[in-house]
Amino acid sequence: MTEPERRPEPRLVGGLWCTDVLACLDDYVAGTLSPELAAQARAHLAGCDWCARFGGRYAATVRAVRERLGAEEAPPEVSRRILARLGRER
Amino acid sequence: MLAAVAAGDTAACNELVRRHQGAVWRTCRALTASDQAAEDAMQETFLAACRGAAGWRGEGSVRAWLLGLARRQAARTWRRRKGEPVAPVPLHELGSLAGWGRMEDPEAFVEALQDRRRLWAAMDRLAPADREVIVLRDLEQLTGPEAAQALGIDLSALKSRLHRARLRLMAELQADLRHD
Ligand SMILES: [Zn+2]
Repeated sequence: MTEPERRPEPRLVGGLWCTDVLACLDDYVAGTLSPELAAQARAHLAGCDWCARFGGRYAATVRAVRERLGAEEAPPEVSRRILARLGRER
Repeated sequence: MLAAVAAGDTAACNELVRRHQGAVWRTCRALTASDQAAEDAMQETFLAACRGAAGWRGEGSVRAWLLGLARRQAARTWRRRKGEPVAPVPLHELGSLAGWGRMEDPEAFVEALQDRRRLWAAMDRLAPADREVIVLRDLEQLTGPEAAQALGIDLSALKSRLHRARLRLMAELQADLRHD
């Protein structure tokens, strides 16, 4: 956060601006865009390396949360203590 | 099974714990950002569930109901903390913070995603409202309507909150990389 960074300007590719693609990336990743918008988004991503890279990271982040964090189980001692307390208190 | 739980069947209650403890643990851990607070919230969730199973209306999944209870228990720990005022940030600014247009090493970001501790640490730095929407939708894979109901918001609000929360998570991971 020390020096201002140079960022590329949003551009118009495939009929969409980078900012439009950013706004619909969630639906794009989920496959819930309308066919027309999905085709435009694909065309944009094919012609815009900034959005292609960013879109890949966005999808990878969603996947990592599901696969990495979703695989974690409750520690055994935690579940032992819960079962013990339920046995006592209910 | 919930009928048996409601009838005071201890074995059924234990089975409820066994089946859902992973999801409840992850939710409580993510929402409280603390192992101890997560365990407390998890205990209260299952106590409330086993005592209150009779109050379940049979709508939606048992898991969604339990995660709604877990969220309420976990929320008790954050209300005691200072609230973070969240100024509305334009989406394109969030995108920039999340790394749109960055030149630096794309590999490092992907590697950070593989590191569970790093991912949890980034989650823990998010505001509770951002964390809970990611937890319910991306981590526990509740449907949009289930998550919206658990959070007491409508679907379109849920959708925009989720998108922004993911961008903030990416921004936290980015910030973390810059500190290396
Ligand atoms: Zn673009």
